[in-house]
Amino acid sequence: MRTKLLVAIVLFGTGLILVPMENAVRAQRLRMKYGGARVTFELREAIGQNLAIALLAGMRGVVADFLWLNSHTFWEKKEWLRQYRDMEVVVTLQPQSVLFWDLGQWHIAWNIGYGSLSDPKNRTKAEGIKREHEWHQKAREFLERGIENIPNKYDLYFAMGWLYYEKLSKDCDEPPCRDALCRATEYFGKAATFREAPQFVPRVYARALEKCGDLRAAYEEWKHLWSLDHSKTQQAWSVIEREIRRLELEMQIPNAQRVFPLSTS
Amino acid sequence: MTETAVAMPSASQDRVGFSLNRVGVIAVNTLTEAVRQKVFNFFLIIGLVFIASASFFAQFTFGEQMKFIKDTCLGVISVISTLIAIVGTAQLLPSEVENRTIYTILAKPVRRFEFLLGKFFGSLLLLVLSMMAMSILFGAVLWIKEQGMIRELSQTYLGESAADKADASQQIKRLETEAVDVDLVKAIAADLAKATLLASITLLVSTFSTSLVFNVVVPFMVFVAGMLRGTAVEMWGGHQLLMAVLAVVPDFGLFSIADEINLGNVVPWTHVGEIIVYGLARTLIVVVAAHLIFSRREI
Repeated sequence: MRTKLLVAIVLFGTGLILVPMENAVRAQRLRMKYGGARVTFELREAIGQNLAIALLAGMRGVVADFLWLNSHTFWEKKEWLRQYRDMEVVVTLQPQSVLFWDLGQWHIAWNIGYGSLSDPKNRTKAEGIKREHEWHQKAREFLERGIENIPNKYDLYFAMGWLYYEKLSKDCDEPPCRDALCRATEYFGKAATFREAPQFVPRVYARALEKCGDLRAAYEEWKHLWSLDHSKTQQAWSVIEREIRRLELEMQIPNAQRVFPLSTS
Repeated sequence: MTETAVAMPSASQDRVGFSLNRVGVIAVNTLTEAVRQKVFNFFLIIGLVFIASASFFAQFTFGEQMKFIKDTCLGVISVISTLIAIVGTAQLLPSEVENRTIYTILAKPVRRFEFLLGKFFGSLLLLVLSMMAMSILFGAVLWIKEQGMIRELSQTYLGESAADKADASQQIKRLETEAVDVDLVKAIAADLAKATLLASITLLVSTFSTSLVFNVVVPFMVFVAGMLRGTAVEMWGGHQLLMAVLAVVPDFGLFSIADEINLGNVVPWTHVGEIIVYGLARTLIVVVAAHLIFSRREI
């Protein structure tokens, strides 16, 4: 009896001593935004019993991957609502995953959007167009939540810019919709400020500025890119030169102010 | 015979001091025995097969492939190490009692604490070796996948414009940093700390139970309860008494950092260090409790 009591005291007493340490680690994780949604009854209903068990065993990533593969299967079967529902669960499980938000919005806007447009069940062409627009809006809302969760990486800003540039810019009565293109520049501009953004991001930003109608800003952006140290920065310099020359001609920039002045001879 | 009477150390045990050498001999012997077990080999082979097959995520995008491989492999390492920790340790003491070899050992100048520690370290060695084997294979799978992807990317952009080639080289660099991610070691270290704690809990249970099923089921239930402790704290954090009772169960959720690492979140070494220290502190407590029971147990 004395042994049992001693063991109980050791286990409980030292367990209590370690509680502040556990709380500190938990608080640190909360600060660093680790983890996803808590396993609630709703989530358990959505993912099923087996995956809920795997989730409780700490295999959040594996469960999310499995559901992602599942959503892919739904896409192949043209079951878009189920696919969308699975993608929603996946981003709930791993809201810090850029991949799921990025590919998810692409599926919603491009694949499901086009699928709805060309669905033979549509009674009229207008119905298909309306449904496609609705999916584009869903993709936008989806990405907005993604950016809220991951504001510190360039990827989702670029994805949002691309969504406006490629899809939402065609969703008005007289495309291209200038407003959408200008909204795209806001997101491309934000994406271009990240150091790890690939070199094509600032180039796309400059091109979008032109499409938005702001030729001066586009020219300045190309010039800014050209002014970067060619030996230290990896860029498509020939493309930048070509664009600057084209804009200088188009905007009739005085020869003295040009980056590439025309030869006077 | 009463418990108190058994608890009295024998004269021979009283005279011998603690020896790390004896602990080491018992640990190596335990490891040798454990490696010969079919159960261990079965788990390890299953783990290795799963890890090797993770490279067949070929039909997805580059980003998906890398994420899925890492998720699967780290998940397999976590599950298999948990199983080896529980099943591998559960039969250590009961088999010694059943085969009556414990009498021969304890009749020699070997302290019970040395015997217990030797068994525990043997189990730990088994865990380290099996996790090393799985990690090496995991690294190899990642490397092979990375090389394949780089080759594919290079071929895709062969003969393209200079701008496209520059974009491709940037993609390759990104791929290299994603694949050769030193941070994955942190996830494996946290998993090892978790498995060590589980092994110690199993050892504690096996000091008072001779049933193999009981020795496996109880630690597993403690593990599940430990995984739910974080949720319990979130939901009933205000109930001080309940939290005090729950404090006896280690929070196993704290060891799950693989997801964060795989998602590219920054997991500082200080954070990993805290988790490992927490795991070791818990392990030490459980081993002391196991010693308290085993040293007074009637054999």
